[in-house]
Amino acid sequence: MSNDLSIRNLTVNYGPVRALHDVSFDVPEGRIAALVGSNGAGKSTVLKAICGMVDPVSGTIQVGGETVPSKPGAALRRGVALSPEGRRLFPALSVEENLFMGAYTVSNRKARDEMLERVYGYFPRLKERKRQAAGSLSGGEQQMCAIGRALMAQPRVLLLDEPSLGIAPIIVAELGRIIAQISQSLGMTVLLVEQNAQMALSLASTGIVLETGRVTLTGSGQDLLASPDIRAAYLGL
Amino acid sequence: MSFLIAQSIINGVILGTLYLMMAIGFTLAFGVMRIVNFAHGEFYMIGAFLTLIGVKWLGLPFPAALVVTVVMAILLGGLVERFVFRPFRADELSGMIASLGLAMILQHMALIIFGPDPQSFPSLVSGVYRLGDLIVPKSRALTLGAGVVILLAFYGFLMHTRMGRALRALVQDQEVASIYGVRLEIMYPLGLGLGVALAAVAGGLMAPLFGVSPFIGGTPLLKAFIVVILGGLGSIPGAALAAILLGLIESLTSSFVSASAADIVTFALVVVVLLVRPSGLMGRAEA
Repeated sequence: MSNDLSIRNLTVNYGPVRALHDVSFDVPEGRIAALVGSNGAGKSTVLKAICGMVDPVSGTIQVGGETVPSKPGAALRRGVALSPEGRRLFPALSVEENLFMGAYTVSNRKARDEMLERVYGYFPRLKERKRQAAGSLSGGEQQMCAIGRALMAQPRVLLLDEPSLGIAPIIVAELGRIIAQISQSLGMTVLLVEQNAQMALSLASTGIVLETGRVTLTGSGQDLLASPDIRAAYLGL
Repeated sequence: MSFLIAQSIINGVILGTLYLMMAIGFTLAFGVMRIVNFAHGEFYMIGAFLTLIGVKWLGLPFPAALVVTVVMAILLGGLVERFVFRPFRADELSGMIASLGLAMILQHMALIIFGPDPQSFPSLVSGVYRLGDLIVPKSRALTLGAGVVILLAFYGFLMHTRMGRALRALVQDQEVASIYGVRLEIMYPLGLGLGVALAAVAGGLMAPLFGVSPFIGGTPLLKAFIVVILGGLGSIPGAALAAILLGLIESLTSSFVSASAADIVTFALVVVVLLVRPSGLMGRAEA
């Protein structure tokens, strides 16, 4: 099976601080990969590097075999869409306008409206609230809107940064189910970045553990969930 | 008495329309580019001169002169963004100082070209509309009507087009807007160009009422500042409310007390709003 997203020897500095050391991993096409690790391990930095929001010192990022240059918008043109940490909706825009902003570069109106219906299918609550300002939604609904906005870009690779952050456990479980459903029904490659290792690894076919900027473990999601080290470090078991 | 009130309200609404046109461009430049644009009043002045040139020297009909003014203003705004403001992105203080320098350059260029004396603008229409006791000069009605149409068109652009939506998104979260493909190198000149065009068209519309000279930009800039403080920086509904309010307060105070009292009242209001609600009537507190 081919890899949709390949990170090779990625090194990123924030000023004098090294955030990522030589990080490499692959996400196979149509699968969900979970990038887990504690706060400050560098998970979000990986996503920022993919999207050109930080400049790596060295390393390459490939999507579908093509190298992505480090510029804002470059990843999007190659089919990568990010749902950023903390959701980062446009608060004064309506739910539907936020979704349309995800499809900003999609010029085919019909494709855009079809995806909009799909997103409303996954998240019926967004449809009920489509005229409401995004800032007035609950945390869980905002997360749905953020994921929907990323889907609207019609990506081949979907990057989700901490979708469980600050959200009630029952909604987290619901989000997990929907993420799996999205990946399956659209055949979409998903890189799920999470502190909630339990949720992420149980959805993922591949798991990557990041600690202080280095990849310390990779394996199948099930194996990592069963591994005593992971259970002790991240699951509190 | 009721006649005087009605007359003041009409004048106040005309002033409010002018202030709103000024304030929108000013708040847009800040919202999109984080530039406090002190040159904004000079674009009002340039718009008045461009319209004057169109009508008096080129013999264009007034609406055509306004259209030419808008086109030239958008181009001017784009150029100013590229050559004056772009080097100071992400540096609010230097951008503000650059805008002060730009204001001086523009005003003094106008002085060199046109001289300091106020120029009269040929009157477009004469006569008045009578509504019972009420008298509205046709020139004022025309200015008000055109101003409202332009503001509504701009509102439609901002609320119902893809580019307008992108501009609003940019104001709220530049980083996220750009990862979804909004291109700053297009939106910055566009945002500034539209703001400059609104100021310029306000200048052109007001020229027949208030005359034209190189010094007319100062007052509208000050009013734009007041409107934006009252309404909340970056909030267009807030600006609309504040602009009409400011126009009415000024007009009613100068009718019933005196013109200098009007200034005292408006600035007192600014101080009160800053003390009680520093984010403005409808602004959001900065995170």
